[in-house]
Amino acid sequence: MKAYIAFARSGFLSSLAYRNEVWANIFGKLVQVFARVAIWLAAYAGMTAVDGISIQDMVTYALLGGVVMGATRHDRLVRQVGNALKTGDVAVWLLKPVHYPLYLLAVEAGMSVYTFLLAVVPTIIIVALVYGMLPPASPFHAAMFVAFCGLSFTIHFLVAALFGVLAFWLMTIFSLEWLLQSLIVLLSGLLVPFWFFPEPFGTIASHQPMAWLVYYPSAVWLGRLDALETSVYFAFGLGWASLLAFALALLWRRASSRITVQGG
Amino acid sequence: MTALIEARGVSKRFRQHKRFPGLLGAFKTLVTSEYTEVAAVSDISFDIAAGEAVGYLGPNGAGKSTMIKMMTGILVPSGGALSVLGRTPHLQRMDNAREIGVVFGQRSQLWWDLPVIDSFTLHRRIYDIPEARYADNLKRFSELLDLTPFLDRAVRQLSLGQRMRAEIVMSLLHDPKILFLDEPTIGLDVVAKDAVRKFLAEINRERGVTIILTTHDLVDIEEICPRLIMVDHSRLIFDGELSRLRSALGSARRLTLEFTADPGPLPLTSATLTADEGLRKHYLLESDDISLVTILSEVGSDRGLKDVALHEPDIEEVIRTFYQRRNAAAAVAG
Repeated sequence: MKAYIAFARSGFLSSLAYRNEVWANIFGKLVQVFARVAIWLAAYAGMTAVDGISIQDMVTYALLGGVVMGATRHDRLVRQVGNALKTGDVAVWLLKPVHYPLYLLAVEAGMSVYTFLLAVVPTIIIVALVYGMLPPASPFHAAMFVAFCGLSFTIHFLVAALFGVLAFWLMTIFSLEWLLQSLIVLLSGLLVPFWFFPEPFGTIASHQPMAWLVYYPSAVWLGRLDALETSVYFAFGLGWASLLAFALALLWRRASSRITVQGG
Repeated sequence: MTALIEARGVSKRFRQHKRFPGLLGAFKTLVTSEYTEVAAVSDISFDIAAGEAVGYLGPNGAGKSTMIKMMTGILVPSGGALSVLGRTPHLQRMDNAREIGVVFGQRSQLWWDLPVIDSFTLHRRIYDIPEARYADNLKRFSELLDLTPFLDRAVRQLSLGQRMRAEIVMSLLHDPKILFLDEPTIGLDVVAKDAVRKFLAEINRERGVTIILTTHDLVDIEEICPRLIMVDHSRLIFDGELSRLRSALGSARRLTLEFTADPGPLPLTSATLTADEGLRKHYLLESDDISLVTILSEVGSDRGLKDVALHEPDIEEVIRTFYQRRNAAAAVAG
């Protein structure tokens, strides 16, 4: 355990090594969040509510997308896992008494905390000052939002690591990275919340694992789910996370044993 | 004394997806599932006792790295039995990892973006090294390999020689019983090579760390390893003391006789004449049993013999002769 805490710390510290990236990050995030807010302002075109969703709700939703999704970089994870397996660099990890996927999780957590503190928080403050942001629906919803953020990070990590491992068999890391990028934009609810999806796509979208990345944390903050629904969907999300963790463990074993048996 | 490492008929075959050349071949490669088998290690047996330093030598592709990877548990042998510290490495990889140190010359284990010292601290956490012992080891090794000037620098800013020294120190911080080094001096300059060799020899001598190292460089073996294991084309061809290599591989000694006046052609029964320069004649001594006295008495005292020089072949020459003979044999057979 001590080792993994040290890994998380090193992830945080090695992010600090590239100081220019902080500014690039803040700027990039600002542009993204402003763009999403601008799209909703344009789409509402002066109306105060559409289908019972107010423009304040939508601006807050656009900002929250930045909070939950802003810190974790799935592209980096896919590349890291994919490269380690394809080049055989993973051998170095097999030599140490640690589990590589857990190591990655720890490092990613450290890096995410860094990005969250130094890029996401400033961005949100700036945009919130410009456009205004709704507070959480209740203290219960606020507390659950934090829990959902943890779940979001875990699922985000698992999905990205899975794509990275798949690169070992499927195709170039680059194409998987792009595939994941577009899937996440659409299926996490980052771009459009599922309540605007036509049926049956809305129902389908709100039950697949990536829905827990942005849609559910934001919906909880806005109070779109009552206490019971919130707990049910939290459990549902935990179920997805365990399933994904199981799949990752299985594929990871396959890939690394193929390397050790056949020499990559 | 029981052996620390036991290899009994260890083999490793790799399956390679067969590729067909050309554009049509590329499509054929897509749909076929034909494999070619390549033997990297064939039927190799040896015992290594605690405290030994063993050089594992062979040309490119002879299966040196494969053997190291099997002993460290990251490759599974296709045949035979392998035991390291009483364990089967690939089945007890994690337990094995705690007691061995590994350095790959071509692959860094340090954290690229972090200062060297941070990599060491992480290493301490991974192996759960007690603070006092860690501090002690770090101080001693850093002094011996002169690491102190760049401990605070990021790994990506180090020269290859500095990086290699840091890699070696890190691999020893958790007091491993065995240290595996895969081409640790590759690409280093003379000074760095020398520092690394002296350090490894000292670690082996004073701490009793068993060292197994692969290399192309014979000097590595001469300075660190009293024992040599030589492989070629996946097979073991020599295992023993370096000094025994010459007689084992049967490379001949060379003899040069110098005269004050040309005695004319001078064939000898005890040595073969290879070159005749008149005043200076070169011979080859095929057998080890022939003594210089026999030869000199055959030459006689009345020929104006001025000087005698006997050349023991150096290892490099021995090995070169060995490969040349093997290639010649292969040419005849083929």
